[in-house]
Amino acid sequence: MNILTGLLNGAISGATPILLAALGGAFTFYAGVFNIAMEGMMLMAAFCAVWGSFTFGSWLAGVLLAILGALALALIFIVFAVWLDTDEFVTGIALNLFTLGATTYLLRQSFGVKGVFAGPGIDPIPRLHLPLLADVPLLGAVLSGQNLMVYAAALATLISAFLVFRTRFGLRLRAAGYNAASLDSSGVSSARMRVYSLLLCGVLCGLAGAFLSLGYVTLFSENMSAGRGWISLAAIILVNGNPWGVAIISLLFGFADVLGLLLQSYQVPSQFTAMTPYLATLAALYLYARRHRKERSYVNR
Amino acid sequence: MSTQRAEAQVADRSVQLAPPLIQMQGIVKVYPPNVLALDDATVSFADGEIHALVGENGAGKSTLMKVLYGLVHHDRGEIRYRGRPVRFRSPGEAIAAGIGMVHQEILLINEYTVWENIVLGAEPVDRLGRIDRKRARGEVQAIIDRFHFALDPDAIVADISVAARQKVEILKLLYRDVSVLILDEPTAVLTPQEIPQLFAELRELRNEGHTILFISHRLEEVLELAERVTVLRKGRVVATLPAAQTTRSELAALMVGREVLFSSRRTPQAPGDVVFAVEGLRYEDEHGRVRLKDVHLQVRAGELVGVAGVEGNGQLELVNAITGLLQPTAGTLRVAGVDLTHAPILERRRYIAYVPQDRGRMGGSLAASVVENAIMTHHRLNPRLTRWKGLLLDRKAAHRFTDALAQRFNVSMPARAAPLRALSGGNQQKVILGRELLLECPFILLDQPTRGLDVGSIEYVHDQMLAMRRAGRGLLMISANLEEIFLLADRIVVLHRGEIVADLPVEQATVEQIGRYMLEGKA
Repeated sequence: MNILTGLLNGAISGATPILLAALGGAFTFYAGVFNIAMEGMMLMAAFCAVWGSFTFGSWLAGVLLAILGALALALIFIVFAVWLDTDEFVTGIALNLFTLGATTYLLRQSFGVKGVFAGPGIDPIPRLHLPLLADVPLLGAVLSGQNLMVYAAALATLISAFLVFRTRFGLRLRAAGYNAASLDSSGVSSARMRVYSLLLCGVLCGLAGAFLSLGYVTLFSENMSAGRGWISLAAIILVNGNPWGVAIISLLFGFADVLGLLLQSYQVPSQFTAMTPYLATLAALYLYARRHRKERSYVNR
Repeated sequence: MSTQRAEAQVADRSVQLAPPLIQMQGIVKVYPPNVLALDDATVSFADGEIHALVGENGAGKSTLMKVLYGLVHHDRGEIRYRGRPVRFRSPGEAIAAGIGMVHQEILLINEYTVWENIVLGAEPVDRLGRIDRKRARGEVQAIIDRFHFALDPDAIVADISVAARQKVEILKLLYRDVSVLILDEPTAVLTPQEIPQLFAELRELRNEGHTILFISHRLEEVLELAERVTVLRKGRVVATLPAAQTTRSELAALMVGREVLFSSRRTPQAPGDVVFAVEGLRYEDEHGRVRLKDVHLQVRAGELVGVAGVEGNGQLELVNAITGLLQPTAGTLRVAGVDLTHAPILERRRYIAYVPQDRGRMGGSLAASVVENAIMTHHRLNPRLTRWKGLLLDRKAAHRFTDALAQRFNVSMPARAAPLRALSGGNQQKVILGRELLLECPFILLDQPTRGLDVGSIEYVHDQMLAMRRAGRGLLMISANLEEIFLLADRIVVLHRGEIVADLPVEQATVEQIGRYMLEGKA
């Protein structure tokens, strides 16, 4: 019983940052932006969250700064990839590498430490106890007492699905990805839809990063996003951006994460178990590539 | 009769049907740096008429309509719409004013339903920002019913025909209450069977009070549908004529600036030996469907054989079996006595010249330079174009070869190094035709060689084909245009469901009879 709730709790915690980033990436996926900058946005947000929380002594300030940090990267992406029409892939790589360097540098400049900054001055995002649900056996132990950001992620999934599939915004967003010229000829700017999608991605990656450094743990360490942005990309591609699918895949990745930890107690080397999420990503990308090769196959006419 | 005199004469006939709805006065458009697309073009369109714009490629008819639609901005001139001067900065403004345009290229979201495509950009929403599906579907159904368009609003666009997609484009404008519809070559994407339906629907729209401006270079269609025709040449409006008082020859002469012959220039000549023969050709696709069924076909030296048929009756498979893109299930292919049934493609290229229907994908590479397109295949077969046993291209030789081709086939190009894309459709086809004819093959296969070309270019391609016929080559032409076949061919064969159902000398065939063979497989 304790192992089970522990596993589920761990899976949910592990899934949350991936889910938030993947929902952000799903908007850009639907808008037809090949956005791989979730990794960088998340890392920047994680740093800004710790900085804001430490400086202002409030987790809320941390979250706000995290969103601003990720939005700043989204704006750079917009300037280059939407406005100046540079290659999205190269822009994304540049942003990810820039963020890795920038956060490492800022860590030293701001706190005078190398590697990790932790301390009692950082105000973490609180956990939320749901009064009635907490009393339900099993379910209560899993669903209540989670970090505030976990509930935010669940809500974000709901809102994303509604926005994408039910609203005027969603119809235009998907149209931008399917056939931008068609949307433009309908009198709606597809470039504007791409901008909106990137801004939404910035906000959601900001929340993902804030959860990493103020929820999952309360510290900032160099490169602490550790490939979660890439995993979120894999999740998006696997389910073609569908928010519900993204949620399920994120939970599976979270489960792979926690399973790795569990395997360590059975004498499997930790270096090996740490690979599980990335192996899952490789498998996902293989499926994607195979599907695309079929579409590319030669047709006369 | 000189052209000037013809123009002076026709000018007298351009009477107004009603006070003009749209007046375009002295429109000048220069595409940077110095291409004069519209040169003082003046034309007016009456309320509730069907008005056709004809002209060769590059004559300015599309540009003129894009100026009206706000997609292209003119440098000089004035547009008056409903009596007031207007200048639309974007298509959105034009649509808001009631002028909409359907482009040649269909721009729809394949993944969306018909109704979603129609309302996109003007979606009705409820208070929560949700799309009001019931209302949207209802409104779409209402306009479908009003204009008698046969369409299912819930169908996914990817699943419907090209003709139906075009209707969706038209409905998209009608949904936005557009009263002037501009159509850019609407029939270019349709099969011959779909055209009457479109025309009926356009007439219905006209009867409901819409004004229809349509661009075309198929003169017979123009005369059938339009009430008035405006001819453009080199950016100028040469004439506006009532369709009932003009002829195809007159329009063609006005378009090209000289007389164009529509009668056959084929001279009788006795054919020589068989140069091309397929026997018992059969092809089953991966699903086991029979696409070619026991096809026997011969072409003699100095003979031009035309293949007629409704598209999708085995033409593609026949062409691919000859060129080697597919391996037939049974049967043999011999050209000039050589068995090529199992030959690799490069080996076939020594005997078969091939002008494909799709210039940009099969015929050449639009992104590659004119030189690269000109020497394709030659660089493998002609040792003078390479050095070091074919390892290195000889650039100078390639340039000489390209210049010779350009001169002999009248290709006008900005530069040898320009991408093929930069050339007009007619010039692209000349590069490909020239390359193929210079292969000096005994047999020439042409798949829709004049599709999408203007009158002048079509005439040129036809002349080259007849010259090859006189030179004793064997030619096999697949064409969707029966008129073209009757004009050029010595013999007509008809493909119906993968079978040759008729093989007649052209003198013994009539258009009606061939039409019945095409549709029913028997006369």
